[in-house]
Amino acid sequence: MMNKSIALPLILCALTLGACSSQRQNDTGKGSVTSKINKGVKAGNNTKSGTVGKGGASSVNTSGSEGGKFNYLPGGNNKAGNTNDITLAGLSDPGNLLSQRIIYFDYDKAAIRPEYMVLINTHAKLLAKYPDLKMRLEGHADERGSREYNVALSESRSQSVKSIMGVQGASGGQIKTIGYGEEVPIVSGHSKNSWQKNRRVEIKYDNY
Amino acid sequence: MIFTTNIKSYMRIVLGFLLLSSLLLSFSGFALELSLEEEDDSIPITIMPISGKAGGIIEADLKRSGRLKIISSSKITGLSPFGGSIADINKYETITDYIVRGKPDINGGLQLELISTSDKAVTLYNISANAHLRRVAHKAADKIYEKITRIKGAFDTRLAYVTVTDKASDNRVFRLYIADSDGYKPQQVLSSHLPIMSPAWSPDASKLAYVSFEENNTSGIYIQNIFTGEKRKISAREGINGAPSWSPDGTRLAMSLSVSGNPEIYVINVKSGALTQITHSSAIDTEPVWNGSNMLVFTSNRGGTAQLYQANAGGGSVKRMSFDGRYNSAADIANKKMAYITGTRGAFHVAIKSINGSGKEILSNGRLDESPTISPNGAMVAYTTLRNGENTLAVVSDNARARQFLTSAAGDVREPAWSPYLDK
Repeated sequence: MMNKSIALPLILCALTLGACSSQRQNDTGKGSVTSKINKGVKAGNNTKSGTVGKGGASSVNTSGSEGGKFNYLPGGNNKAGNTNDITLAGLSDPGNLLSQRIIYFDYDKAAIRPEYMVLINTHAKLLAKYPDLKMRLEGHADERGSREYNVALSESRSQSVKSIMGVQGASGGQIKTIGYGEEVPIVSGHSKNSWQKNRRVEIKYDNY
Repeated sequence: MIFTTNIKSYMRIVLGFLLLSSLLLSFSGFALELSLEEEDDSIPITIMPISGKAGGIIEADLKRSGRLKIISSSKITGLSPFGGSIADINKYETITDYIVRGKPDINGGLQLELISTSDKAVTLYNISANAHLRRVAHKAADKIYEKITRIKGAFDTRLAYVTVTDKASDNRVFRLYIADSDGYKPQQVLSSHLPIMSPAWSPDASKLAYVSFEENNTSGIYIQNIFTGEKRKISAREGINGAPSWSPDGTRLAMSLSVSGNPEIYVINVKSGALTQITHSSAIDTEPVWNGSNMLVFTSNRGGTAQLYQANAGGGSVKRMSFDGRYNSAADIANKKMAYITGTRGAFHVAIKSINGSGKEILSNGRLDESPTISPNGAMVAYTTLRNGENTLAVVSDNARARQFLTSAAGDVREPAWSPYLDK
């Protein structure tokens, strides 16, 4: 379960290598996403941010989004050929964006990296479509910094994700946020690579 | 009996130091390793053989203090045992400043003579028996330490800490332990598959407040009596319930709650549950500790990165305390000293300074040192540091000369909390 959730973005990225690299260019200059997000979305050039999970939104062509709103565009250039329908069935389709459930963060930051906007919006739309659907946003931090500070930081990360979902029409009552701090790492190493994997919010649907 | 000493100065005169000994002991799942940097102003003391284990425990305690150095009793020949003559004690003056002679008493207690080799002054101690045998020796070490250094001893105290096995797997297990301050006699208080964090001792050392995610997989603050096991939920509000810290009189807990939507410092009356919000900011405010009965020191990133701030425990204005370093957090305060974590150039170290801000010293040199906790006399700091990839407990004297690592076979050790003085 855990291995799957780490590996998935990497696999998707590998499947769509071209999209991964072009996504970086798309990310630059999308500063307008900052508007309604209270923790502040990291704007501008993002090319040096982390190495994991870059594939988050890579299989979707966002270049046509209007007004910087990163609307989800169905049927993007996903070479796996699966549908990207925003349905409950999509949750269990490994080729669907909805199967991606991890959002990664910069060190000591709760701001959403622009490349995760599409992923977050897609999950938000699923919530909006199914008002009985509920999710937990589980925030985590890497091991640097003090433990209770990291609990607060990781909760801020899950709140950042929740805020964006709210903008996209999900109801606050559908989303529970939690901060686990550095207590529940995905990997136990002490390298930059391990730290990046541990700085995350995991999307967990009740019953899915 | 009047006792005078010619205590050598504790001024930190660097006279060149000597890595004297490295000692490994195994017990109850912990391995102890003590490394000492003894400078020429460490006070020499000799513990003459005492029947039973007390002598070794006293020696180990005094070594950990970073202020005394143990001179082997084999160098003292021809001295009569406990109660005997000290007429020619001066002849040992060139070998050691102090000699301790001891004898177990009939009830399981300990009788001790602390003798100054320079002026023949003798101080007699009768340490009463205790159900926990090691505590008799720790109490003896406390008496000796206080007489020589004029600082109250804190060897007869406890540490609480959390261990985690399989930390990066779904089989991870968190365990809350208490042990003697030297790591011996660990006792499990609680275990859980979900996080246990931030143990904090009540001022009477009978209870621990801690954070556990055991209920509904969300955080709650609990208080547990360590003798009876009786447990009470203090706060399980929406969001974060974290970082409990007892007021000096034990009637209130400071903590961090995000029930308002953002982590703020609150004080709760333990008995009535009445809640007072102390901070109101859009930043992270957490890790409060009491500085006396009226002030709280806490961590906030309101200035951009984590720094230490001070606020009145009844609410009111907030003042920044730390200015040097990009990251300062996790303060602990005892005996007018504050230990905390300071981050510089990507590494995190334990620092200590007086509560008025003077005399800052860096006490650790790991890469990711965490969770400092001060002994009640302010003379030692326990913290965690990475060794061989695992978080390990370390105890360092406040002059950084004696450092002891307690390595657990059972995975990560984290979040030590040093108890107050024990009553009985």
